Parts: sequence; C-alpha cells; structure tokens
Amino acid sequence: MSRHQVRVLVVLALAAYPALYHLLTQSPVGVEAETLLPRMDTMVALLYFGLFAVSFDFISGYTGYLSFGHAAFYGTGAYFVVLVANGKIPLVPSGTPFMITLLCAGLVAALLAVGIGLVSFRLSGVYFAMITLGFAQVLYVFVRGLEWISSNPRDGASVSGSTHPEGFEVGVPFVDGLNLAIGPLSGDTVTLLGHTLGTNAVSFYLVGAVVLACYLAMQRIIHSPFGQVMVAIRDNEERAEAIGYDTFRYKMGAFVTSGFFAGVAGGLFAGFRRSVTPENTFYFLVTGDALLASIIGGFGTLAGPIFGHFFDESIREFLSPAGQGGGLLPYLQTRLSEGVLSAEVGGLTVEGFIEAALNGHASLYVGIVFVLFVLYVPNGLVGAARDRLGGPVTEKLPDRLWDR
Amino acid sequence: MTAVADPALADAGLALADATPGSVFAASVLQTGFFAGLAEFLRPSNLAGVLVNGLAKSALFVMIAAGLSLIFGLLGVLNFAHGSLTMIGAYLGGLVMVVLVGGATGAWARLGYFLVALVVVFAALAVLGLVVEVGLIRQLYDSPPIYQILLTFGVTLVLEELVRIVVSFYGLQPISDWQEALGTKPAFLARQTTLGPVTVRGLALFEILLGALTVVGIWLFLTRTRYGLFIRAGSEDDEMAAALGIDVRRVFTVVFALGSALAGIAGALLMWDPVWGASVPLAAETLLPAFVVVIIGGLGTFRGTVVGAVIVGMADAVTTWWFVNVVTWTWLPEVTVFLILVGMLVVRPQGLYGVEEVGGH
Repeated sequence: MSRHQVRVLVVLALAAYPALYHLLTQSPVGVEAETLLPRMDTMVALLYFGLFAVSFDFISGYTGYLSFGHAAFYGTGAYFVVLVANGKIPLVPSGTPFMITLLCAGLVAALLAVGIGLVSFRLSGVYFAMITLGFAQVLYVFVRGLEWISSNPRDGASVSGSTHPEGFEVGVPFVDGLNLAIGPLSGDTVTLLGHTLGTNAVSFYLVGAVVLACYLAMQRIIHSPFGQVMVAIRDNEERAEAIGYDTFRYKMGAFVTSGFFAGVAGGLFAGFRRSVTPENTFYFLVTGDALLASIIGGFGTLAGPIFGHFFDESIREFLSPAGQGGGLLPYLQTRLSEGVLSAEVGGLTVEGFIEAALNGHASLYVGIVFVLFVLYVPNGLVGAARDRLGGPVTEKLPDRLWDR
Repeated sequence: MTAVADPALADAGLALADATPGSVFAASVLQTGFFAGLAEFLRPSNLAGVLVNGLAKSALFVMIAAGLSLIFGLLGVLNFAHGSLTMIGAYLGGLVMVVLVGGATGAWARLGYFLVALVVVFAALAVLGLVVEVGLIRQLYDSPPIYQILLTFGVTLVLEELVRIVVSFYGLQPISDWQEALGTKPAFLARQTTLGPVTVRGLALFEILLGALTVVGIWLFLTRTRYGLFIRAGSEDDEMAAALGIDVRRVFTVVFALGSALAGIAGALLMWDPVWGASVPLAAETLLPAFVVVIIGGLGTFRGTVVGAVIVGMADAVTTWWFVNVVTWTWLPEVTVFLILVGMLVVRPQGLYGVEEVGGH
C-alpha cells in the first residue's frame, strides 16, 4: 500500500491549503504569506486548468501524439455549460443539475474528439499537431463570429442572470441537501465548528473533488492494459502494430477519453467563472499553457502537469499587475521605505523597474524556465524525480524516506 | 488578420451591403440571394479587384512563410518563433522609419528609407536567428522533433514578452497597431490607384512587387549559388550532403539566420499595412497563416510554399469579398483558410509538392 501514501499526502496537503492559507495570512508573517502563496481563487483555477493539462498530457505525453488543438475540447465543455445555463441547447433545459450538465459537456467534447480523431489519426508527428491545431482554430474563429452564442460573440458569453441566477451546484444531483454551489460570488459558504469557509474555499473543495475523481479515473486507465498499449504506441508504434494491436483504435480511445476530461475541465471553469471568452477557451495559447504545465511538471507523468501549472500560476500571481491581490509590488510597497522605492539607478526608479520589467510580465520568466526545462530537464519535475529515484515517485519515495 | 474588412474591397463592392447584421446561418445570405451575389462577383471590375487583392495577400503570405519553409526543409524544425521574428521585424522596421522620416520627407525619400529599414531589419534578424540557432536549437537536433517545437514555442513566449516590456516602456500599446509607423508610408502608397477598370490600393501593388522580388531572389539564391546548392542537397539528404564534404551544421546555421531575416523583412512590410500593422499580436496572426501556407505547399519545398501562398491568398481575397459584400459571416475568410488546410492534410498529407518522408512523417 506504500504507493498510496505519497498520493494521500499530496491530496491532504491540498485539502489543508485553505486552512493553511487562512492561518498564515492572519499570522505575524501574514504579509509575506499573502505575497508568496497563491490566493484561493487562483487555487481553484489551478485545479480545473490542472485537470485540462492532465487530459492534454494523457494523450500527448502517453501516446506521443501532440494534440495541439486540445483547447477545442476545453472550449467546447466551457461553452456548453454556459449555453445550457442560458437555455440555448435543445433537450438540456437551463435548470439541469450542474453535475449532469458537466457530464454532458464531457460527452459533447468526446463526440467532437471522435470527429477530429477520425480525420487526424490518419497522420502523425508534426502533421498531427498541425491538423488538430487547424481544427481548434476553425472552432475558435467560428465561436468568435457566431451570433447565436451571445450578442457579442467576440467577447464571449456569460451566464445570464435571468435564466440561471443561482450558482452551479456540485454534489449528488436531485438531492438538495447534498449540493453546494461553486463560484467566487454565487457560491455557497459553509460554517463548520464556528469557522466560516468562504465561497472560494468551498469551490476549491468541490472542484477538487471532481478533479480528483477524474484524475483517479485517468490514472486507472493509464495503469490498465489499455494504458500500456498507449505507452507502447509512444515508444514504438510499428512494433505495437506488429504485435497485433489495432493502434488506430487505441489512439482513438485515448483521444476521446482525453477529450472527455478536457470537456469536464472546461465545464468546471465555466461553472466557476460563469463567463467564457474565445481567448481563454478555444485559442491555441490555451493549449500552449497546458503544454507549459506538462513540460515543466513532467511530460508523460499524470501528476506532473498539476505541479507544472502550480508553478506557472504561482509565478504569474507573484508578478501580477499591481492591485490584484498579493504579489511582489504590493509587498515591497508595504515593506520598503519610499526612499528605497524611488531610488534612481541610471534614471530608473526601483518601483519603475519592477513596474516595467516584472509586473504582469510573468510570461517572460515562465518562458525562460520553460526553455531551460526543454533543454536540461526534458522529463520535467516529476520525471526528473522519477529518474533520480529509479521508478515511479509514488513507489520509490516512501522507501527512500522510511525504510532507509 | 483577415476578419478586418479590406477598405479597397469595401469600395469595390456595390450597394449590396445593406445586409441585416444579427441574423444567423441561412438568414445571413442577403435578400438579393446567392445568385445575385455571384453575378455581382463575376463582374469584371470586381473580379479584377479581387485578383489584385488576392495577389497582394499571396505576396504577403509568401514573404511570411518563405523563411519558415526554408528552415523546416533543411533543419526539420517547425519554428514556432517565426511569428515573433516577424513581429520584431515589424517593430524594428517601424523604429527605423519613425527615426528617419519627418513630416517634410518626400515620398521617394521615404521609399529610400524603407530600403534602409529593410537592410537594417535583415541584418538584425539574421543575427538574432544566428544566436537562437547556435545557442539553443543546435543542442536539440538529436532529440525527438517534438522537443524542437517545444523549444521554439518557449522562445516565442520569451521574445513576445520582451517586446511587450520594451514597447510599453516607451509608452506604446503593445496590443494595438503602431500608428506612427503606419504614418511613415509615402503618400502614393496610401492612396487608391486606378488601373484600367479597377481601383486598388497603392500598397497592394507595392506588396506584389516586393513579394515577387523576394520569390525571385530566393529562387536565384537556391538554384544559382553554391550555398543554394548546399541547402538543396541538405534538404534532400543531410547525411549524404555531410558525407560529400559539406559542413551541414554551418549550412543549418546560415539557413536559420536567413529564414529569420526573411521573417523580419516580411514584418517590416506588414508594418505599413493597416490591415496588419506592428503590434505584439502580429506574431500569432502571422504564424498561423504561415503554417497553413507551408503545409499546403508541402513541408520543405519552396515551390510548394509559393503555390500554397497563392492558393491561400486567393481564397482569402475571394471569401473576404463575399463576407464584405454578400454574407455577414465574419468568420468566413479565416475558416475557409483553415478548411483548406484540413482538406489538404486529409487528401494529401505531404502537401502539394511535399515528399512523404520529410518531417518524420
């Protein structure tokens, strides 16, 4: 059972995060904690986007087929949830429980994956990456121009207050007592033992539960005979075929599964944020973010993308433009004296330098780290740890820690 | 990119444009209907206007994609940073023009300065390409091709953010076109010119001229010079070329520098075009069409890239005319371009002139 210890610890650490964040930000080192730790709503984003990155890694890292248009499935799931809530989808009324909508969002994305996969898997390598990118871009342009979606489709769509004013509820469908709403504004709060959990903390647990279930499902698939064939395809597709596996079917199966979970991730995103834009769903740079997370965390390791995305989000928030929660500049403004901040070095003040070169420019530093990872740590954080320990981290780490 | 209505096209179209915006799908076709639109489209003056605009777009596409095609053909690296190089070229070209050109500068002097800008951009981007190839990409030739894509993707992130920092430091909006650079155009390029039955933008003719010169230049370089011979030999079989005594690694470096420089001068030209303009999003706007053009033509054939650019440019011009004058589907031009890509990959994955083995396919 030792291989479960590490996983349970990671889940527990995540589960303790809201309490930890609350305690630390109230403590004497509160300002430092607020500067360094991601805020709660960032942590929710980490979960749903992490799920998307994991689903991207599921197909790209395990079968070796770079799905550069993966944002198509994320976007489909996200738009589906918003459109259902606005009563635009026939057969699925606005009042459908969110869990069922979420499932449908995944299924619609999976259906799309069937269509794209049937065409795209006739190709491989660079061509596969380009054709999936092509499909995603077609959908992106389409969604930007389709006026059926909203009055101004270029700016995306949001959940209308008239058809769906209440928050999206995660829980057991049709049982009122077992449902809680997610969302920074429309979500529920919970009071437990005299402590009130805010909407973001509640959303964190609820989204986290769905993400965990999806993660475990994908983990199960990877470790099943089906997953072994996926890895065989990555390592040597011709050999897998020669042994007698119908690789096309396995690739399709993996792609559709991956599309399903990407759709669920998109649905969670839309449920939490209540509004979607073409840029943060269908655009190819959304896939780029998943790629970034996968490479830094570990390409071809299921948990890696979550760590990779955690890294990405932390840096982005640390260097976020002034006035958006904790970060470097607000911290320095509270801690350093005015004299230091306005000290001039070569005609540039310290504050001016931070404003110009650091704040809001996290992409630069994340990009540099990404390049360094590609060059020197191609297996990513988790992959490097795995190489170091000589086997899967979850199996080898407990041995290292306790048996010796 | 293409969703922006071409002013010349709007002028060329007749009063058909009383479309009812807000309608969906079938209702989007005008009251006049498809056949009236077709009849209008087939009028010689409209057809000629579309042809000129299509050629201008083709010229731009071939300039954007030429470097990408050369680099992929020889090195087998699909360069995601290509769009960023174009964008840097646009800003750099704009900078040279803004510094040199004053309000009183005459039209021909401006054109002369533009040539200076082209030389500066060519040299600067060649150096940048050299640095990227020697410093980064060279280390990954033996890794799976996927890692080269990833590396250039990372380079894109870094370059774009650096430009964003510099540009906003000097008080420009990184996401909107650099108006001051647009204003350095000679007056005769900004005007509409009447050529027989059609009225076209002067800039369109200039773009066609420059695109044709670029194609001829690359063609002569590839077929008439010793280095071009090395490049063609290396594209066909780099191991064999190395065995015959060609320093293939050095040819790689030269081609990467050359491809980057070509991306740069394409950017310098786009800096003058109000449809594109110098801005940070120009990187993504040019990268995607460049991919489409190169893949349609076949990865690694320059002839294919030229033909691909003409196909994409013409399709773009025709659908843009329809979108401006007959239908209200804003997405029509872009979707058409990508549907051509998808169709081509399904029917002929190696592209029009591609060889099957190129690109690890």
